[in-house]
Amino acid sequence: MFSGFSHSVMGASHEKTNLVCQDSSAFKIGDHYAIAVVADGHGSKKHFRSHLGSKFAVEATIEAIDRFYEEREALEASLPVNHKLIIRNIEKQIISNWNVKVDKHLSENPVTDKEKEKFTEEEFEAILPESYYGTTLVAAVSGDNYTFGLQIGDGSLVALFEDGKAVMPMEYNESAPANVTASLCNSNAASLFSSFYAPNKKLIALYGSTDGLYTSFGSEHDFLDYHTIITSQLVNIETFKTVIKNNLEKRSHFGTEDDISLACIYNEKLLTDRMDLIRKRVDENKKAAADRKAAALSKQV
Amino acid sequence: MSNEHFTEPEVNENKNASPLDDFDMTENVAAPETDESILDFDDDPLSATSVSKKSLVIFFLIDTSGSMKGKKMGELNTVMEELIPEIRRVGEADTEVKVAVLTFSTEVRWMYSTPIPIEDFEWARLRASGVTSMGAAFKELNHRMSRNSFLSSPSLSFAPVIFLMTDGYPSDDYKEGLRELQTNSWYKFGLKAALGIGQEANDNILAEFTGSADTVVHAYTGGQLAQMIKIIAVTSSQIGSKSMTLSDDTSHELAEEDVFAAKQKLLGQQIQELISKQPGDDDVPFDTGW
Repeated sequence: MFSGFSHSVMGASHEKTNLVCQDSSAFKIGDHYAIAVVADGHGSKKHFRSHLGSKFAVEATIEAIDRFYEEREALEASLPVNHKLIIRNIEKQIISNWNVKVDKHLSENPVTDKEKEKFTEEEFEAILPESYYGTTLVAAVSGDNYTFGLQIGDGSLVALFEDGKAVMPMEYNESAPANVTASLCNSNAASLFSSFYAPNKKLIALYGSTDGLYTSFGSEHDFLDYHTIITSQLVNIETFKTVIKNNLEKRSHFGTEDDISLACIYNEKLLTDRMDLIRKRVDENKKAAADRKAAALSKQV
Repeated sequence: MSNEHFTEPEVNENKNASPLDDFDMTENVAAPETDESILDFDDDPLSATSVSKKSLVIFFLIDTSGSMKGKKMGELNTVMEELIPEIRRVGEADTEVKVAVLTFSTEVRWMYSTPIPIEDFEWARLRASGVTSMGAAFKELNHRMSRNSFLSSPSLSFAPVIFLMTDGYPSDDYKEGLRELQTNSWYKFGLKAALGIGQEANDNILAEFTGSADTVVHAYTGGQLAQMIKIIAVTSSQIGSKSMTLSDDTSHELAEEDVFAAKQKLLGQQIQELISKQPGDDDVPFDTGW
């Protein structure tokens, strides 16, 4: 049986500038499947409705995936062979759903004079309407013995399979300082998605997060270790909800001051069965971190 | 839809759950109301992994060839030891500064195997010997300035500062090394400055490295060396760690390329301004016969 949580906090920098939180997050527990999803609205000048764009992205994703699971048995029979095609079709369905929501919102809420006043007429004319709502998206899905995920733009996916090791199943490309994040609002959004499919693996926990979480860490090791520690806390979920909210606030406040969202789905039974292993991993990670620090501080000249 | 959970972001006191929000926002969780309350997380098991601020890496490329022997290297070691606390102060506000030191003579060598946070950094006194393999140093820098190597930190928010110090003409094909380095995006967008030490250092080569004569300075005495290193290192780390991407500024918005160009220009201006204010130096020049 799956369970989950999701939480978004507003970044300290956005509080300072009186902006609204640009992130959205959600999870859904279905019949033999579960979904975790986060989205990060771009928040800059021309994406002035991106807080709504991220909300629409989260809704659009759950609706799209739910639709594919209406015939779960047929879907799961087809996934091992046709996962690439199926995931691509889910991505297209998400883009379509998102555009429908954006179009509907825009027709019901035309751009106001106040929203326009930040631009010259030429500047405003140059912006495509869907750009007002620009957002990233990270979605993670798990069934009984398989997992897949999809992503457009920044953000991270972390999985703990039955060996209790935290891994990032998606391949990430080198990003240079001037790189611009991919977005659901791009006209070629369908070609900008990345995805993964992990068959025949039982999942303990699967996390999606916006880049505010990742950038609050000094190293990728720390980022992965954090997810192992989180997983070790999930058995007391009600206590944990308090802890994670406080911790995300803290990470934003003392980190890069960005909005942070974290969504998680986990297998309750496997989590309980593997708890000793997960705690062992937490201790191993702690020791490895101390060893890494000692090695880094040894002079070479 | 009782099993579907949307999370509306928590914004200050706004605790009203949205119609979409099945996630129980009314549980007994007090949202922190003040900055002070955010500081108090004694019961937080997740604090085992520390929070990293926005970070910046300063690369020092230091010539340790034989011609640096004596006063030049002695002075450089002393000023670098003094400099570390000053750079530490730059990073105290909201930026974590990390330092990476690459020395080049007959061989190229990193002082540490990875960039070290300034609060943990200890200067290892350098010794001079051998020839000036500047081209090899440029190639090594190109290799390490990558997300897969020295710039792997998730919290890395700023393009690096790259500071070259040398006292002589390269003994290898520096142009080939520089050509490789110039293809590196981090180099392109990094803040570059160079210091020529003594009469033999060629400012034209240094300007090729930085891309502008404004960010090249020259020291002829020990006193000047100390002043110049401090001016360049402190100014470039201050400018390097400044957020100039005003994405939420409603009046104008700089493209990233413009931000980097603006920072490099500002560095040149500030270095020249600070140098023009330096008092005269009665110290004995490095190249006076000993």
